[in-house]
Amino acid sequence: MNRPVPDPDIALEAHQLCKAYGRGRRRFVAVREVSLTIRAGQVLAFLGPNGAGKTTTIKMIGGLIRPDRGWVKLAGLDPHRQPMALRQVGAVLEGNRNLYWRLTPPENLEYFGALRQVPRRLARQRGQVLLEQFGLLEKQRTPVQKLSRGMQQKLAIAVALVHQPKLLLLDEPTLGLDVEASETVKALVRDIAASGCAILLTTHQLAVAEALSDRVAIIRQGQIVAEQPTQALIQQFSDSAYQIRFAGLLSDGQRDAIAALGATVTENRIRYAGSPTSLYTLLSLLKPLPLLEVSQHRADLTDVFLQLVRQPSPPEPSTPTPKPDD
Amino acid sequence: MINLLMGEFKRTWIQFLRYPAEVIGGVIIITSVFYGLFISAQYMAGPAIAFGDRLDAIVVGYVLWTLVIFIVNDVATNLQLEAQTGTLEQVFLSPFGASRVFLARAIASLGLRLTLILTILLIIMGITGSRIQFPLALVLPLVTLLLAAYGLAFVMGACALIFKRVQQVLGIFQFALLFLLAAPTEDWRGPARAFANGLPMIPSTGLLRDLMARGAGLDWGQMGVAIANGLLYFALGMVVFGWAERQAKRRGTLGGY
Ligand SMILES: Nc1ncnc2c1ncn2[C@@H]1O[C@H](COP(=O)(O)OP(=O)(O)O)[C@@H](O)[C@H]1O
Ligand SMILES: [Mg+2]
Repeated sequence: MNRPVPDPDIALEAHQLCKAYGRGRRRFVAVREVSLTIRAGQVLAFLGPNGAGKTTTIKMIGGLIRPDRGWVKLAGLDPHRQPMALRQVGAVLEGNRNLYWRLTPPENLEYFGALRQVPRRLARQRGQVLLEQFGLLEKQRTPVQKLSRGMQQKLAIAVALVHQPKLLLLDEPTLGLDVEASETVKALVRDIAASGCAILLTTHQLAVAEALSDRVAIIRQGQIVAEQPTQALIQQFSDSAYQIRFAGLLSDGQRDAIAALGATVTENRIRYAGSPTSLYTLLSLLKPLPLLEVSQHRADLTDVFLQLVRQPSPPEPSTPTPKPDD
Repeated sequence: MINLLMGEFKRTWIQFLRYPAEVIGGVIIITSVFYGLFISAQYMAGPAIAFGDRLDAIVVGYVLWTLVIFIVNDVATNLQLEAQTGTLEQVFLSPFGASRVFLARAIASLGLRLTLILTILLIIMGITGSRIQFPLALVLPLVTLLLAAYGLAFVMGACALIFKRVQQVLGIFQFALLFLLAAPTEDWRGPARAFANGLPMIPSTGLLRDLMARGAGLDWGQMGVAIANGLLYFALGMVVFGWAERQAKRRGTLGGY
């Protein structure tokens, strides 16, 4: 736990976080032994069905919910013991406005700067830069209340960055946004990561996650069921099998020969997981039937997610249930 | 910390000014109350709070009474408002820690309110030609009174964190405060007096009454008691609030789940 020198490149390290709500019969384990690591400039998409424990985990990382067991390090500091750790984190929380409704965008930026120990002048300067970067300069004098939902969300992200944190927590940042606003938020997330900030992002829009993330962690019933680089995970679930669609009827001889190659036939489709060269052998066996389609299966994050989340439920851990540690 | 305080002043001020209808409403209420006080001062047999029957005493007593109520409710009201508007968790993300942020806020909103009240008072005094005296010796017991009041404010804030809905509690508390502040405890003797010295704000209000209504000098022994009382309740408030914060973080109810 007391590692000698924290790696400056690691923005977040969460180790075996556990959280149960309620007591006695109403006790409910929301998060079990979740560990996450994010490096500077990385985007980790944290995915899972509703109620899987994403928000709980995010709030434990931000010091807003105390874990029963496990620990969090933000750039080497524990937010539950060292308040200074909070200088390293910015958060846009789910279902919250995260902004002062009566203040204008620059006023919000300046106030939140003060709240996070940024000197006033610096907060104002950074505020201007952020407003420009986020395309909010024309709305300088409009109270947040009168901004569109998309602009409010952009501003909430800008405000979470005014103290230049090493880690940004985004819980459902594109929820309730129209397509265009979602796209802008996506582009911003990419820019923020490129500037070296680590990002932990939850979303139900798997296309957004696939486009943005370097890594994916999938959580289900409080447990991480997969954690890998995004492309590797998708690759793993893409079985690279060929699918062939044809017209007409196969003779029994053709059927046997195809089966002998290890392919499976269902009506007018063949699934074949062999090498690209032996594919030609198979295709020649189909002569002279007309071919309608030859394609290779490639999964996307949605396929991966659905497969992982629909698996039969993991066994209850046999370890004793966690108790609060103090 | 100064930076935070400035930030809070600015935020409070802007939020206050941006909606003129509320400002005007507030100013009208305060002005009419004071105007009523000034007009009826000579007919009054003595205000509820029994600071004496001189105009100074009535006005100062009234101002104090409203300020104390305002302060005691301030942290809890602020917490509930922020929970509704969805900014509360952002406050708890501050490296300053929630107690310091809420203290800065309470000071800022008190500053705003005081400015408003004093401005209106000055205007009314200009119109009516009435004068009130504010003896400087009042400052010390005032500070200890405010300390204890802020302590209670944090206790109420702790209730708001744990129980979420505290409107009724605040209302009942207001009555308790009225009795507490009006009881002439400085006349009590023996164990009753010792007991009164342990109640929040009582030593300070007793001193204020002595100074204002009875024209007595500052009793330094009693002042020491008032200082101890103020510090004690302030510390108590901070401790209880810190405890409530930890409870809420344990239950995961900070944002108002
Ligand atoms: N403060 C709380 N008290 C009791 N149960 C809670 C609390 N917060 C969340 N839960 C429950 O814990 C589970 C996980 O919630 P959450 O972390 O919000 O999931 P997600 O963000 O993945 O949808 C849910 O079943 C939710 O009902
Ligand atoms: Mg959630």
